[in-house]
Amino acid sequence: MKKLKIFYKYLFLLTFTVSSCIEETPNYYEFEGYGFETLDENGGTWKTILVSTPTQINIPQPEATSSAAYQGELNAVKQQMSGLTPSQTEAVNYWTNNPVLRWNEIALELAAKYNLIPGPNADGTYTLPNPANPVGPPSFPFAHPPYTSRMLAYLSVAQFDALVVAWHYKYQFNRPSPYLVDNSIKPAYSPSHLPSYPSDGAAIATVSKEILTVMFPLEAIYLEKKYQEHLASLVHAGINVPSDITAGNIIGTEVVKLAKQRASTDGMAKAQTPKPVSDSIANAAFERFGWKWQNMETPQRPVGLTPLFGKVKMWNVPTVEEVRPGPPPVPGSVEFEKDAAELRKFASHMTISQRRIANWWEDGLGSYTPPGHWNKFAKEAIVKAKLNPLRSARIFAYMNTAIMDAGVACWDTKYYYHYPRPIETIAGFKTILGTPNFPAYTSGHSTFSAAGAEVLAHFFPSDAAQFRAWAEEAAVSRLYGGIHYRFDAEVGIAQGKNVGAYAVNRAKNDGAQ
Amino acid sequence: MKKIMRFTAILAVCFGLSFTSYAQTPWDEVMMGRGEICAALIYEHSSWDQYWEGSYLRENANIGTFTRQTAMPMIAMGLTKKINLIASVPYINTKASGGTQAGQSGFQDLSLSVKVDWLQRQLGNGKLLFLTNAHFSTPVGNYLSDYMPFSLGTGAPELGFRGIGGYKMDNGLVFRASFAYLWRGQTEVERDYYYENGSVYSSFMNVPNALNFHGAIGYWAFDNRLRMEATFMSLNCLTGDDIRSYNRPQPTNKMEVSQVGAWVQYFIKSDQGLGALAYFNQTINGRNVGKATTIGLGLTYQLKVY
Repeated sequence: MKKLKIFYKYLFLLTFTVSSCIEETPNYYEFEGYGFETLDENGGTWKTILVSTPTQINIPQPEATSSAAYQGELNAVKQQMSGLTPSQTEAVNYWTNNPVLRWNEIALELAAKYNLIPGPNADGTYTLPNPANPVGPPSFPFAHPPYTSRMLAYLSVAQFDALVVAWHYKYQFNRPSPYLVDNSIKPAYSPSHLPSYPSDGAAIATVSKEILTVMFPLEAIYLEKKYQEHLASLVHAGINVPSDITAGNIIGTEVVKLAKQRASTDGMAKAQTPKPVSDSIANAAFERFGWKWQNMETPQRPVGLTPLFGKVKMWNVPTVEEVRPGPPPVPGSVEFEKDAAELRKFASHMTISQRRIANWWEDGLGSYTPPGHWNKFAKEAIVKAKLNPLRSARIFAYMNTAIMDAGVACWDTKYYYHYPRPIETIAGFKTILGTPNFPAYTSGHSTFSAAGAEVLAHFFPSDAAQFRAWAEEAAVSRLYGGIHYRFDAEVGIAQGKNVGAYAVNRAKNDGAQ
Repeated sequence: MKKIMRFTAILAVCFGLSFTSYAQTPWDEVMMGRGEICAALIYEHSSWDQYWEGSYLRENANIGTFTRQTAMPMIAMGLTKKINLIASVPYINTKASGGTQAGQSGFQDLSLSVKVDWLQRQLGNGKLLFLTNAHFSTPVGNYLSDYMPFSLGTGAPELGFRGIGGYKMDNGLVFRASFAYLWRGQTEVERDYYYENGSVYSSFMNVPNALNFHGAIGYWAFDNRLRMEATFMSLNCLTGDDIRSYNRPQPTNKMEVSQVGAWVQYFIKSDQGLGALAYFNQTINGRNVGKATTIGLGLTYQLKVY
């Protein structure tokens, strides 16, 4: 019995040892506020996307730092900073001095939360999410890849424009940060000479909260809470006085109006078609090519995902036809059979490395989608390069417009060619990834990823090879997953690069180079 | 009776989880004698066509009927009369009758278990019993846990501590209850971001710890050669999230299951020879698990080595 007690002692010891090597499971990217690599003093001159010129938006002339009004604000800041609760301090550390990244993360989290495909009703029909009744069921939105790409594009464009306008006024008024006016204020982040009026943080908070509330209407309360926490952190961190924040809010509000206006007329409302329209699209392809894609789920979904997303207004590409590739190989042709045989081979002899790649890039239902994955890469590259919020927003804006354009181009191609999936053309074929509810050619992962990689390669040339290699891996992952042919992936990569080049060309001419 | 050894119901509920892995008698009162070894092979067939998404019991035509078959070799030995060791490693195959997703097969978790007999005291017309069981299991091979419901297990190490109390009457009736705390570790998945009531930036998932209860009323017939039991089992994860609407399960889910069953086993009376067992389990309630019906059949071979 004594031996047993020793044995149990060892077992408990083992428990503690094992417990101590538990990996962390953080809920956000852990980084600290950093000193900006550059301040981009001329950022107010950069070309905006929605705003025609910064002076289109007016903010009041700020009070001088010597004024009684400003001194009163300073005292209020000092008073608040002296009595921070632990949760307020935590909020200051969380938001950092580059809150573009946090709002981007919040957007990704909501994408993952809402990326759930509606299931069938008891009678075998499907109900689509309805923005007029967001509670549902099913709740609105279904944040699938096209939806998420568009959500991120509007968010990033609005953030970028708001910051260009903010920068314009920052360097027009040149009001220093509170801690430069009063050295008894110790800022929570690296000190910087970026003028504090209007607050860039407040501008970001306003556009982000508003755009995300439009995209995720059921999250209004959650977003308001984040917004208030963010605004409070700007004062608690000692980087803004309240009038900086008010001016930032004004800019944000005006930019949001322009973004909402564009979003309401960009064609997204018509992207998810009724069945007769969907059928006529399928039949047009069948008459043109002799094949058509079909949903293979039980019960069958009557309409594919957003058949008319290909008609949604693009950001950087004048017409979708100019980035539409030629047709895929005819099913049954030699070229087709070669690629189909390859899929059978992968499925029957899957290596661990192939399985990992398939899963690593799956970004499927319940995740932040491939656009989300590229936003995560961008975020990490931005922190590594210590970019300021304006330059960060610029990268997100070009990348996310490129990614959405890639989605539009890809969806145009998908429904133009209406090409069947491997589970339709290969008898008895089983896959390790779920087959999505839209045609195969071209691969969405490939086009999204190649477009994202091209833009990131432009902004981070020393990592260009890595980004492009990732895009290639994302593309081939769909072959390992059994849901795309090689030609879907290869042409998708070419299409994505092509689309991405439009964004890069635009970025080269926006005055920021 | 002291020479016998019994194997347990394999609880292939929970979309097929590692409950399977601590397979031998962690919750019963039976011990093997010193120097006795028992090898067994159990075949189990478990299937469901409904599962609980959170607390909502639903069907999914893209799964149809889900089937999980297990072949489990197991070996047990009496280190001493009071200390038994048990090892097992199940081979599992999963498949769905509906949909287009591929099933899986392979070895799941290696489980090692130490069972100790602490107390046997005559009380009234029977014996009061108390035993403990400690087990450790860990995945073998490289099956992917994050491929539910097809995955072979949770892909995480598990450490369990169990107390077993019983009263065996001289007329053959047995009443038994066992209670265990299961500490589960993490499972490494093949993505570095997932959603668990919010974003998680990690390629590790925390598999929730759980409480496990077993109860049985049994009867020994034909001079302790035939054992028959009516059983109840429940398992409750202490934390975890629910399967989201029409979404797939994942190892972080809060799984709960209650199940009733029956067990019949034939034992040999000599030092060496064949035995047989059969069992049936029906899940009656659950959360984030399949409503499984399970049958198991097994052969045992026993011998004495010292």
